[in-house]
This record gives sequence, structure tokens and C-alpha cells, in this order.
Amino acid sequence: MFVVIRDLLRHNGDFLAGIVLTGFVVAMALLSFVSPYHPLDQFVAPLDVPPSAGHWFGTTSRGQDLFWLLAYSIRNTLAFGILVAIISRVLSLSIGLLAGYRGGWTDRILMSINDTFIVIPLFPILVLFYFVMRDNMSWVLLAVLTAFLGWSYDARLIRSVALSLRNREFTQTAVFAGMNTREILAREHLPFVLPIVFSTTLNNMNWSIGLEVTLAVLGFTDINRPSVGGLIYWANQHSAVVAGIWWWIAFPVGLVVMLFIGLYLLAVSMNEYIDPRSRLDRMGGQGR
Amino acid sequence: MSAVPNTARLTTGRDTGPVVSARDLRAWYRLSMFGVVREVKAVDGVSFEIRSDEIYGLAGESSSGKSTLVKTIAGAIRPPLEIVGGEIAFNFMAGTDGLHRASGEVAGQVRWRHLSYVMQGSMSVLNPVRRVRASFADFAFRHMGLDRAGFEAAVVSHLARVNLEASVLDAYPHELSGGMRQRVTIALATICRPNFVIADEPTTALDVVVQKEVLGMFRGIQREMGSSVLFVTHDMGVHAHLTDRLGIMYAGRLVEEARTRDLFARPRHPYTRHLIESLPRIGDDKLRRGLEGSPPSLADPPDGCRFHPRCSFATERCRREVPAMTPVGLDHRVACFERDRVEASQ
Amino acid sequence: MTQALLELATVSKTFSRGGFLSRERVEAVVDVSFRLDGDRAEIFSIIGESGSGKSTIARMILALQAPTAGHVRFRGRDLAELRAEDERTAFMAAVQPVFQNPFEAFNPLKRMDRYLFMTCRRFTGLHDEAEIHAAADAALQQVGLTLAEIRGRYPHELSGGQLQRVAIARALASNPSLLVADEPVSMVDASLRASIVALFRKLCDELGLSIVYITHDLATAYSISDRIIIMQKGRMVESGDARTVLADPKHPYSRKLKESVLEPLAPGETPMFAR
Repeated sequence: MFVVIRDLLRHNGDFLAGIVLTGFVVAMALLSFVSPYHPLDQFVAPLDVPPSAGHWFGTTSRGQDLFWLLAYSIRNTLAFGILVAIISRVLSLSIGLLAGYRGGWTDRILMSINDTFIVIPLFPILVLFYFVMRDNMSWVLLAVLTAFLGWSYDARLIRSVALSLRNREFTQTAVFAGMNTREILAREHLPFVLPIVFSTTLNNMNWSIGLEVTLAVLGFTDINRPSVGGLIYWANQHSAVVAGIWWWIAFPVGLVVMLFIGLYLLAVSMNEYIDPRSRLDRMGGQGR
Repeated sequence: MSAVPNTARLTTGRDTGPVVSARDLRAWYRLSMFGVVREVKAVDGVSFEIRSDEIYGLAGESSSGKSTLVKTIAGAIRPPLEIVGGEIAFNFMAGTDGLHRASGEVAGQVRWRHLSYVMQGSMSVLNPVRRVRASFADFAFRHMGLDRAGFEAAVVSHLARVNLEASVLDAYPHELSGGMRQRVTIALATICRPNFVIADEPTTALDVVVQKEVLGMFRGIQREMGSSVLFVTHDMGVHAHLTDRLGIMYAGRLVEEARTRDLFARPRHPYTRHLIESLPRIGDDKLRRGLEGSPPSLADPPDGCRFHPRCSFATERCRREVPAMTPVGLDHRVACFERDRVEASQ
Repeated sequence: MTQALLELATVSKTFSRGGFLSRERVEAVVDVSFRLDGDRAEIFSIIGESGSGKSTIARMILALQAPTAGHVRFRGRDLAELRAEDERTAFMAAVQPVFQNPFEAFNPLKRMDRYLFMTCRRFTGLHDEAEIHAAADAALQQVGLTLAEIRGRYPHELSGGQLQRVAIARALASNPSLLVADEPVSMVDASLRASIVALFRKLCDELGLSIVYITHDLATAYSISDRIIIMQKGRMVESGDARTVLADPKHPYSRKLKESVLEPLAPGETPMFAR
């Protein structure tokens, strides 16, 4: 694994750029742990100060230092993305592998559930939930909900791989070595789909973070919990653009775009590593 | 031989002399895995000739390099495969050095008109979503110099040679059985009366009954056209009944070559001898013994004779020196220092 | 009559393909019956070409597929009645498969010794690591290998012939009484094939292991089988003692099959497709 990462860094520009961008965003999130301010404190800094030596990213109209607030916000946003990714990976892996391996009725039932989730319009559902739950809508609940809406595409992908694995002879060898279904899925088939899981995780994070930012910007989340979308929501509430406080919008947008591009580049370069054909193309190109 | 590919002269190729000759051909796979170069010497110093109007057989097991040799001769060189050295000459393409160095124009003129292929998977030639007629038109129409009606008539009469009716032209490949498909590809490969046909495991996927039919037709067409054929298969039974001369490959090198009948009657290389002796026969109750060990990795082949680690005749010299192909009789060459001892022990 | 080890009683298998409206029925196996004695080990060959139903029979014997009609019985017990977990385990310990493609027989991402240890642990009741290793080593020695050679190695490090030996050793590790080998040498190089075929004969003679050998290759079937059946399009067309049947086949299809076999030339023979 270490060797793979080293080689990717050395030979793949996309991967390097992805690591740098994502690394920057993650570093920013980690800085929140040493913040001099509490994220919910307001009017602790002068209002509407443009970026300066004292306040690197300026301050907001609510008297918050934008740099440190953004650090908290991106941390929360990342945590949301990671939680969604973990829950939805568990779902798509277990359902995809089981459907592919068992086939028959199990497959048909699981895949009709899967297809139902694929066609459900998720944005209205999330908004509806917000109106139903109102003050009880915590970020964890939102993450669980998003995860339940976000596993289906990848489950289909994993199922298609599992279907082909089922028909390979080593699966029969495992059966006749006395392994049960759980062992076959976890030990024999999981290693084949893990690379797919890695790259879809990054895409899934991009998707869920995008969703959360959108919901937050529109005010459909817990607006008191700092998040990148929430920051933009408050900036809009204070007509930051009209008032010329551009940094209140520009820095959150810039940071989240960096995260999107970084994760996207990582996903693309991982994909290239996973798919040996595109790797061979690259090497053939070097060899000539 | 000077390489002047663009002024290549296309001759009729019906003159005497070898149709194809390869000299000290070396084709390696050069894989660069993130900076570390790995060489796989799949074809390493192979020389042979294919004469006019003969079926030359090439036998070898997995990782013997025979499929790489076929690719090299067919000019299908794509990275990571490279021709590292040696020459290939075709008598119908005077003045050029192998298809891989010919210009696209010359290669286009030569392919199918003078040189064609029959592969194991017929689907690689027949377009699965178009009728068989379309495949004939794609491959052969421009080479035949006939009008539509004349071309159709030529195709139908050629199909009759492989016992196929004109109706297969309207079929899609998946509607035909495996044997019929392989007969269609043979008809397709031979309709332009090429000087040279490469047949790569053409009957390996077929059942024995169908294989016998297809091989019979293949020989029939070859006899009629007088084409030269390079027939590659790992199946020694097929070689015994079909090919005129036979070359045995082991670990990237040719180790023995002779008229097929002589090779089966008096093999001089221990590997050839083993290949023949290990084949079970109906009616022969003797239980066969397999060969110890495994074929060497072509990325790291043993020094000297590449067969020496598995050879019961191996001496110190075999471990150090590479035996050259040496004539031992009429049309019989063998690459073995201990060939006399091998023969004496039979 | 002693109890049969394996008995197929008028077994048929029909597959249906296609959608809801246009279902196509394919008769893969039709009315096949044979039995293997319990007190005498033998190599029983099922010969047929592609589409003859021979692999479907293998899958039914291994209880991977249920027959549409008829019964497959192992030691008198109908395989369709094997439901309980411990019954299935006992069955799998007694009937083990060897597959066609040795390069696919083991997970390419995993070490091969796992499968040997797993088979020993699950089916022989051994728990002690040292005992399991000894059992795996014993199984490997039956096929001419040792645990030291295989320990920690991945499938791509071995040749096809070696892999097939390990696959056979894995099957032997549960001390089975029946081995079902479906085209076990068709993807093994000719120079290594003979020794694997000879290994089956040795296992049958020395361990008293009955083997169902499924093949399209008449010559190897002749060289090791005690009895054979010849299948055509799902039906048994001829059966009997291997030597007798193959020396002088009676059914037209069997004759055609035998005539089509291309064998190396004996001195004085003429090639079939000579110039």
C-alpha cells in the first residue's frame, strides 16, 4: 500500500494535486482543534474587517474571525461527508456482495429495493424531513438519512463484480473448503471490490458534501452548527455580497471547491490505479 | 538485407524459395512498472523458413513464446512487445523487412491479399452485429477486383469448398454453430487465395468430431490454393495428422524442427521426445509419466539450454552454453548438445 | 447388494431460459442412471463433448444443482434431502471437487495454504494448529508436494500443473471417499498432463478413493478409467468397461468420437490430412 502511494505520487500528477488540495483542506479542519475562539461565540472580533495580518480571512458581520470559523465549519462538513461515506459503504457492500453471491430471489428482492432508492427524488425527501423534524434535525440524523439515500448506485456496481466472482472457480473451492456465506463474502470477495469502494468513497463524499452544502445554504439544516454551507447561509442573511463583504462568501466557496477538486482528482487517479488498462496505456506512452 | 520499406515491390510470390523466412528473431516484452524495467524474452533467437505450398506446424506449451512469434510475424507489434533484433522476410513483399516495418499502405495491400489469419476466436474476425456477408465485403471486396455480382458468385463458390451453403451469408455469427463459424473464418481467410495463412489454434475450441471435419476442409483448401500455412497449436495429435513440417518451441526458442513424420518417428530433442511419449493412446495400456518441473519464467530464464533443469540428459555444458540449431538429417534440425545420446537411448 | 457409494437413478435436468413469454427449455441431462460401488474404488469416466451434459452431472453429484427429475443418492441418502448444516458438512467432507482451470481454483489475492488449513479444520475435526499443518502436509505429499513448498505462496507463483496438484491436495485434505474431477487436465500443459492423470490412478489404487473423471479426451479416459459412459446431448449412449468400450465402441456416436481422435502417428500409419 505504501509503495503504491509512493509510486502514484512520483508518476501521477493528478494524484499529487489531489493530495495537496485535500491535504490543505484537512489541515485547515485540524487547525480548528487549536482555535483561540469557540465556534459559537459571536461579537468577539471587530465587525467586517477585510483580510489582514490580524484576521487572515477577515471577520464577519457577526463579529467572528472567519479563518477560525471556517476551520470549524470545514471540520464539521468533512465529518458529515465521512460519516455518510462510512454508513453508505457498509450498506452498499453488504447488499451488493450478498445480492451478487446469492443470486436468485435474494438478488431480485435486494435489487428491487436498490432500484427504488435509485429513482427516489432525494432532495425533496431531505427537505421534507427537515420540515417534519425541525429542531430535532441533528447533523448525525441528516448523515444517516443521506447515507440511506446514497448507497444504491454503488451497491449495483459491487453486485455486478460479485456476480462475476460467484462464477469463478475459487468461490467453489472456498465452499468446499467449508467456508460459510459470511466468510466467503468477507474474505474471498471483499478484497476484489475494495478498490472500487475506495474510489467510490471519494465520489460519495463529494456528493454528500455537495448535498449538505446545498441544504445548508438554503437553511434546511441545523443552522447553529457551523458548516461551510451554514457560513454561506449567514453571509446571505447579512447580504454580504451587497455590503461588499466578499471574503465572507469567497473563502468558504473557495475552500469547498478545493475540497471537491481534490477529492475528484484522488478518485480519478485511484481509478487509474485500479484499472490496469489505463495504467498500461500510461506506461506504454512512457516507453515509446 | 536493406530496409527500404516504401519502395517495396509486390510480387506474385509464386516463385520458388521460402515464402516466409525469419532469422534470429527476437521479440521481447518490455514492461516498465513505475520505473523498473522488466524484460520478458518471449521470442529469443528464432530462425525458420516456411516453404511454398506447405503447412508448417508450430508446437509449444503455454509460455513457450509461440503466440508472440505469431504476433511478430503478423506484424501485430504493440507495446509492451518490441522486436529487439532479427529479420523477417516475405517473398511476396520483396525488399521489406517484416510487416511491422512496412508502410501502412504496403501493409494494407499485403494483408488479406497475400497474408491472412485464422484465429481461435472466430468472433474476433466476424463482426457480431453484422451479417456474414458484410464481413466478406469488408475484408475481401477491394482485394478481389470484381463487381458486386461477380464477388457474390466468387464468395458462394468459395463457401462451397468448406461445405457451407450461400444462406450463411445472411446469418449473423451467433446464429451459426462453433464449427460453422470456424469454417466461415477459414473461407474468409482463403478467399483471396493468399500466399500465406497464419492459423493460430483455429480448432482448439472445437469438439473433436467438428475439429476433424474442419481440419479436413482446411487441408483441402490449402492443397487447392497452394498456399503456405503457419499452423500453431499445442495439440501434438493435430500436428501429427495435418502438418508437413513441424517446429517445437520451448521457452522462447525453437528446439527442434523436422518433417512431421520424421519428428514423430525419431525425435532428437529430449523435450520433443517427452512431448510425444507422454501422449496417451487408446489401446495402449502403458501409464504415461509426466515431465518433472515446470516451464521456466521467460522473465528470468535459466542460462545455457533452457530445458536443462528438467532434462535427464543435461551435462555441465548444457548449463553454460546455448545449443545452436544443428542439422542432423534431411530437413531435420535440433538444438541439443546431447542429441546423439538422446537418440541412442531410444 | 452392498450399499452404493454414489447412485444416479434416472436423473434428468432441464434448464429454462428466456423471458416470461418466450421460455426455451433445454434438456441438459436426460434419464441418466449409474452407480458406483461402496466397497470397490474405481475411476468412473464420463465422456462427452461440449453440450453433452457431463458438467451438469458433475454439479448434481456435488449437490450444487438439483435434478429436475430422478434422484442422486450418496451412500443411500438422497442429496435433495440434505438440509441440516451438519449433514451438508458431512457430505462435503466426503465428496470433493477438482475443477477445470487450475489458475482459477484459488483466489489470486490469497495464499493457497489457507484453503488447505481451512479444509482440514472444518472437515476433519482437528483444532490444534500443529495437527492441522501435519494433515495439510500429508495431503500435499499424496500429490508429490510438501507444505514447505506451498507455505505462504500465491497462485501466480506456481505453474498450472503444480496448481492442479495443490487443488487435488486440498480436496484430499477432508479425507473424501469420492472425488469429482471436471476436465481436470484440459488446461494443463501436455508435458505435465500425464503425471496428473497418473496421480488420479495412484490415488484410486492406494487410497481407495473413487473418482468421477469427466473429460472430452478419450485417450486419457482410456489410460486411467475402470468404467466409462459416453454422453451425447444429455443422454447416455454407451457404457461399460473402459477398455472394452473404447477398443470397440458399438454406438455410432461413440465410433465417430473415437475415429475423430487425433493421436500421434505410430510407425507406418498415414496422417489423416496428408498433402
